[in-house]
Amino acid sequence: MSIAKGIYNTLFRRNFVFVGTVFTAAFAFEMAFDSYTDKLWDNLNKGRQWKDIRHKYVEDEE
Amino acid sequence: MQCVRATRGAIRSASALITSPARAAGVSVQQQRHESTGPGLDGYKSPFATAGSRRTTSIPDFSKYKSSSGSDNNKVFGYFMAGTLGALSAAGAKATVQDFLSNMSASADVLAMAKVEVDLAAIPEGKNVIIKWRGKPIFIRHRTAAEIDEANQVNVASLRDPQTDAERVKKPEWLVMLGICTHLGCVPIGEAGDYGGWFCPCHGSHYDISGRIRRGPAPLNLEIPEYDFPEEDKLVIG
Repeated sequence: MSIAKGIYNTLFRRNFVFVGTVFTAAFAFEMAFDSYTDKLWDNLNKGRQWKDIRHKYVEDEE
Repeated sequence: MQCVRATRGAIRSASALITSPARAAGVSVQQQRHESTGPGLDGYKSPFATAGSRRTTSIPDFSKYKSSSGSDNNKVFGYFMAGTLGALSAAGAKATVQDFLSNMSASADVLAMAKVEVDLAAIPEGKNVIIKWRGKPIFIRHRTAAEIDEANQVNVASLRDPQTDAERVKKPEWLVMLGICTHLGCVPIGEAGDYGGWFCPCHGSHYDISGRIRRGPAPLNLEIPEYDFPEEDKLVIG
């Protein structure tokens, strides 16, 4: 009850704060989503990508 | 019903003479008519009928639907859902726009071709080197100290395209420029012309040792591409 009131007063009461929160949330969501889906893709294609088999073919000078 | 119709008729005929009180009476007559259809068959109760009072509406009882925890939780939930939808649409819109824009930009193979690396240790002092960069010739000259002096002594105000030598080079001993005459796009010949620099054989433009136009039809100095010295004796163009 009081938590809800606090959330309402801090985030939703003023529109610019609301919109700012929305865009920040969008940014954070996008980063999290991208890294998660990348990780998922790498997991599903483990051993099949160039970065996984590169060491078999390229001898690095460094 | 007939009674009501008669009353209306009476009011209509009387309205010319009698004004507002009579009209008010007429309205009350109609209200009475509605109220008279009180609790009817099958337990139906007209929402307009409140027995015995002058109120014409009865507000239904919404207490069954009312939130027991106050309005805050519901408000926060509603705004949260709206905000979440907004955030998801914003992320989706951004991704869509980004996909379109990255589709239009240069691909990795094009970008790989767009840079050229030159080993400067192989160019002795006082020599020209011409390399190809994005299909165009690039002049690289390792200038001697005398040539740098000569380029600096020119009165800049007298030039057609006034530029000091310092504006045209990053390191004075290395002059890097696009080898295309600014007149009609021929490739000038190095170490030729009246000013010890480049000479365009097509229409006779003379460039000095800093690549600046000195005589002939060309309007501008030879163009300087973007370049950088990432380390000593190494030049990256592009």
